[in-house]
Amino acid sequence: MPQRLQHVIRRALRSLWENAYLNSVSAGVIAATTLLFGVYLSVQFNLNRMVDTWDRDVHVSAYFHPDVPEQRRFDVRDQIAQRQDVLKVRYVSTDEANRWMQQRMPAMEGILDELGSETLPASLEISLTPSSAKPGQIDDFARTLSVTDFSDVDYGQEWIEKFQGFLSLLKLLGAIMGSLILVAAMFLVMNTVYLVVYNRKDELEIQKLVGATDGYITAPFLVEGLIQGLIGSTFALLGLAAVHRLLVARLKDAFELAVTAELMFLPSMYIAALFIAGAILGVGASLLAVYRFLSKVN
Amino acid sequence: MIRAYHVTKRYGDVHALRDVTVKLGKGEFCYVTGPSGAGKTTMLKMLYGAVQPTEGKLLVGGVDVSKLSRRRLPYLRRNIGIVFQDFKLIPTRTVGENVGLALEVLGSSRDLIDRRVNAVLNIVGLPGRGSEYPPTLSGGEQQRVAVARAIVNDPSILLADEPTGNLDGAMAIEVMEILRAINLRGTTVMVATHDTGLMNRFPFRKLRFEAGRLVES
Repeated sequence: MPQRLQHVIRRALRSLWENAYLNSVSAGVIAATTLLFGVYLSVQFNLNRMVDTWDRDVHVSAYFHPDVPEQRRFDVRDQIAQRQDVLKVRYVSTDEANRWMQQRMPAMEGILDELGSETLPASLEISLTPSSAKPGQIDDFARTLSVTDFSDVDYGQEWIEKFQGFLSLLKLLGAIMGSLILVAAMFLVMNTVYLVVYNRKDELEIQKLVGATDGYITAPFLVEGLIQGLIGSTFALLGLAAVHRLLVARLKDAFELAVTAELMFLPSMYIAALFIAGAILGVGASLLAVYRFLSKVN
Repeated sequence: MIRAYHVTKRYGDVHALRDVTVKLGKGEFCYVTGPSGAGKTTMLKMLYGAVQPTEGKLLVGGVDVSKLSRRRLPYLRRNIGIVFQDFKLIPTRTVGENVGLALEVLGSSRDLIDRRVNAVLNIVGLPGRGSEYPPTLSGGEQQRVAVARAIVNDPSILLADEPTGNLDGAMAIEVMEILRAINLRGTTVMVATHDTGLMNRFPFRKLRFEAGRLVES
């Protein structure tokens, strides 16, 4: 390691040790900020994942007119199955639909019997290829289905699109809130680092008098900022892991839902983003604090 | 070594220095003297670039300080040793670390720093005291440490602002003898003082200021 770098690191570690309290405060503020950032990333990541899963599971239910003969229904099914954008097609007869309904809602059995066996129409359950199961494309697909054969086409896409709109709004709000939190944290950390700088005012002034460049004075503070940022991010990550664990356990207890198993912890790329955010916060705040100090010293 | 041409320094409406023209050769020893507020400290501050002249031209070791950018300032100071009345030592650093600071900022190797620090501590009469801390030393010893720091990188100019102001008679004489010894090695030395006893004991050229004007040179 070059001598100058060794020297800078030694000075940074010494300053971290000598100003342990103030440096802990800086690392704490960075930890709190990156934890908030991590929570935001977790929520966004899991919601995106949910939407992706729903997108993949989207299928079109096309309900036949009651007067379409059975043979025609099979022909239509076979024609649709041959389309390139279709993964599979399943024919659901009226009987099968009734049985399904009775199994799911036993309380409705009497009502269904009274209404007769033709209450629920026969239908086709059409799964699209992943490349075709995109918002807009499903609309286009639905429009290609013959209105003379089908009385209704349902695919729940509208709800997913609304949810995606909500996600976009969440991303925008997250970006705005994130920026505000980042600026506030930067301000807080900068002022804490400034206290450390001010604490060493006499020493830094002497360094200037013996010919130290601004770079020589600034470099150890940047290393300190980097170390504070990485320590802060590590604590934020541990906090995030604890929150995630707690949340999964609580949701499981409360709802016994399979969805809790799908609540995933952040993947490595997001974790890297968290560390980078902490490092930027630490280094950026240190740079601003030292710059502010040096601009007042000759 | 030092040349000032019609140098004026104003702080708002207050004149700290007025139309000062003076030349100081290499290896010269001189006092900057005068009553409080005469402009002695401002003159020294201008020489090491802490303040810039409002008017005039000031050359230090061939460098025009009146036009010196902030970025170039450290390189000027590496050629100037500075000693202050209040010593300006870092109390949490050892004597050796304080003295070695001027070499550390140059990026010198640990070996070179150790060798030079030991050598200058010998010159100022503090051999083997490198591991002590400034607060454990007497005022005279602290000032000698400050002098050691000022000369450790072998500067061509040594500026001392009231270096004996906080010292008693015997200690002041010791410090002056060290400054004289450094001057004899070829370093230009400029001492700001109003101690006439000391100036009489060590008689050198005097630059006498009154109300910012150079009245005797």
